[in-house]
Amino acid sequence: MPEQPLSSRGELAAVPLGVAGQSTLRERLLARDERALVELIELATPWLLGLTQGMLHDQDEAEEVVLEVFQTVWDRVGALGEGHEGLMPWLLRVARNRAIDRLRRRSRWRRKAARAEAYGAAGGTAVPFREPDEAGHPGWHVHESVHAALAALPEEQRAVVRLSYFGGLSHSEIAEQLDLPLGTVKTRLRLALDKLRVSLAPIGDWIR
Amino acid sequence: MTPHDWYAEHRAAFVARALDAREERLFADHLGRCDECTREVTRLERELGWLPMGVTPAPPRPGLTHQLAEGVLRRRSAWRRLAPTAAAAAIAAAALGFGVHERQRGDTLAAELGRREAQLAAADSERSGQLASLAALEDTLSVMRQAQHVVQQDIAMNGHHGRLLIFQDAASHRWNVVMHGLPPAPAGEVYQFWFITGSGMVRSAELRSGGSGAALAMVSMPKVPGPVMGAALSVEPAVSRSVDQPTGPMLAHIEF
Repeated sequence: MPEQPLSSRGELAAVPLGVAGQSTLRERLLARDERALVELIELATPWLLGLTQGMLHDQDEAEEVVLEVFQTVWDRVGALGEGHEGLMPWLLRVARNRAIDRLRRRSRWRRKAARAEAYGAAGGTAVPFREPDEAGHPGWHVHESVHAALAALPEEQRAVVRLSYFGGLSHSEIAEQLDLPLGTVKTRLRLALDKLRVSLAPIGDWIR
Repeated sequence: MTPHDWYAEHRAAFVARALDAREERLFADHLGRCDECTREVTRLERELGWLPMGVTPAPPRPGLTHQLAEGVLRRRSAWRRLAPTAAAAAIAAAALGFGVHERQRGDTLAAELGRREAQLAAADSERSGQLASLAALEDTLSVMRQAQHVVQQDIAMNGHHGRLLIFQDAASHRWNVVMHGLPPAPAGEVYQFWFITGSGMVRSAELRSGGSGAALAMVSMPKVPGPVMGAALSVEPAVSRSVDQPTGPMLAHIEF
């Protein structure tokens, strides 16, 4: 069960309320509204944790990465106003990049990747199917859309995306894992990402 | 295939972080110089931004979101709280220790501190320079180690016999060019390396020979349409850098 929201506990009473007239979370973060940060943490943590745990296979390390992501958001809150990237995609990108950096720093990362692949080969997947008790989770409709987009890929392309995007492996590492020519891996990943770009385009940010 | 095509083809792989570490560094380096790739990479990041939500969310353990909020906010609060205290403590220590009873000694120590800080700044600067040199060396070696083609040609000038060696790296589209065995260029002249392309000769780097050891340059492919078909080495007047065709003696002319 998700924990009780912080906002209902009264434990952060000293945190100032949102600035009047600024309604979106992004605007309130830009205004340094600390309660907006708390709300963002409550909304985004399950997704960031799902991503980082899935990649790192280490809960403590995954939580460290999530903390780093929110610290980055708070330290670089001014950058939230730049460009047109959604708030949630930005968080996901930072989290994924941090997780990949950690994977690559590990001396034992190859063993972990092999374990993740063995898990996938045994019928598991880094992109699990819907679990009914999660359906009420904020942002779940985005997960469903992404899941549908991934499910629409041919299995051989999905496998490459899984190892690259959710496993942090490079072209050559995937080629080694799947015993495929490097060029085949590159082609499959490129085709898959092209399709996903089209499929994911209609999704709008659910955190405003 | 133009040199830029490799980057264009690998934009999505860069966004997916599927490039090998070395390729990723090359690409990141390229982004600093290429507006088009930067724009496209930003677009791809935006278009694939939701992909990580393909994972199932993981409910945080009890207390985690509170810890995260505290972790972010307390860090900042702690800094706010501690910074003035630390500054005040430092000032008090200075006043008590050096300012009141030993003003002169304090001045000496302050001067020493200034000297040490200057030394540290110089050391930092030197270290930055060394790191830059090391990075350049690693870059150079990586091109040599992974070169897909190595071309060698004997060259001669004024009774001296040397060689021109070219290491081609198809991944980074950079070459390492090594010239050895030749004396320093005659006064007022330089050894000029050229690309032979479909649209003519394209001036590249000067090779500076010290007379012993090798002259080395890492060169990037010219930004012209069409493939690079070869390379040449000539001796050119040092003042003719604005001339875009060889005018001096040709020491090497290699067509692949």
